[in-house]
Amino acid sequence: MAMMAYDERRILEMLHEDEISRRRAFESIVNNFSEQLYWQIRHMVLSHDDANDILQNTFIKAWTNLDSFMGYSRISTWLYRIAVNETLTFMNKQKPNVPLETDNDGELSISDQLESDPYFDGDQTERQLQEAIATLPDKQRMVFNMKYFNEMKYEEISEVLGTSVGALKASFHIAVKKIEEYFNKID
Amino acid sequence: MEKERLYKIDEHQARRPFTVPEGYFDNLTQNIMASLPEQESIYSTTIKVTPWMRIRPYLYAAAAFAGIFFCIKAAVGINNRHHSADVAQETTIYSDEYIDSFLETAMIDDCTLYYTLVDAN
Repeated sequence: MAMMAYDERRILEMLHEDEISRRRAFESIVNNFSEQLYWQIRHMVLSHDDANDILQNTFIKAWTNLDSFMGYSRISTWLYRIAVNETLTFMNKQKPNVPLETDNDGELSISDQLESDPYFDGDQTERQLQEAIATLPDKQRMVFNMKYFNEMKYEEISEVLGTSVGALKASFHIAVKKIEEYFNKID
Repeated sequence: MEKERLYKIDEHQARRPFTVPEGYFDNLTQNIMASLPEQESIYSTTIKVTPWMRIRPYLYAAAAFAGIFFCIKAAVGINNRHHSADVAQETTIYSDEYIDSFLETAMIDDCTLYYTLVDAN
């Protein structure tokens, strides 16, 4: 069966219909948002395998909680919120395992991990940039990635994270300063 | 003194330094859809109707009606008790002799008396 075109109003209707319609509507949602969600998650966790797992969990959670989605927000906002929560949960579990610098126990630093990652094609500066981003608090890092790499508008980020536009602008500004300071220290 | 060269974010174009396995996005929707649990299991956990759920609204309605009925009955019962007490009190105050003498001096015929008594009740 051919994939239906993405029409949010029609999809919202179909989500309240029979099983087949719900599945078709959800397939259209997955097709429309999976790639952008993947990149949002990937910038946070860096590894492709982890990003893929979190993305799958995000859609499974959305699917099993379809009844709780009342349509008050856009579907994309709802999905981003689930993805953000899933990512933060994953990162909290991982936190003690990823040192910024390679430690005595042989744990690889972020830069070293990226260097050996077959799905990372950045140069040294880009590895250092990822390392600098990793020093930011989780939410600030999320804001920075959404704005810098995913080019989301502050209004969109505000809807997803539930933070005011003013606070987001301040957070992004501070993140930029911290990253620049990080680079200037290692130069 | 040599001018320090500082790193500035806006001087670097944001470039995504990550890649994905070949064909990853081509099959992504299909893979995600295949990983979703069956819709039936979602229905069975969310809208499974038990016998209790089926009779619950009727029981609640019956309980509400019973409550209303007893409230009304209690209110009417109290009023009736008050009414009976008033009548008994009046009956004791006005003896038959007093009523007979009142009727003799009141100059009213039987018909007027009947209507007076009906209105009083």
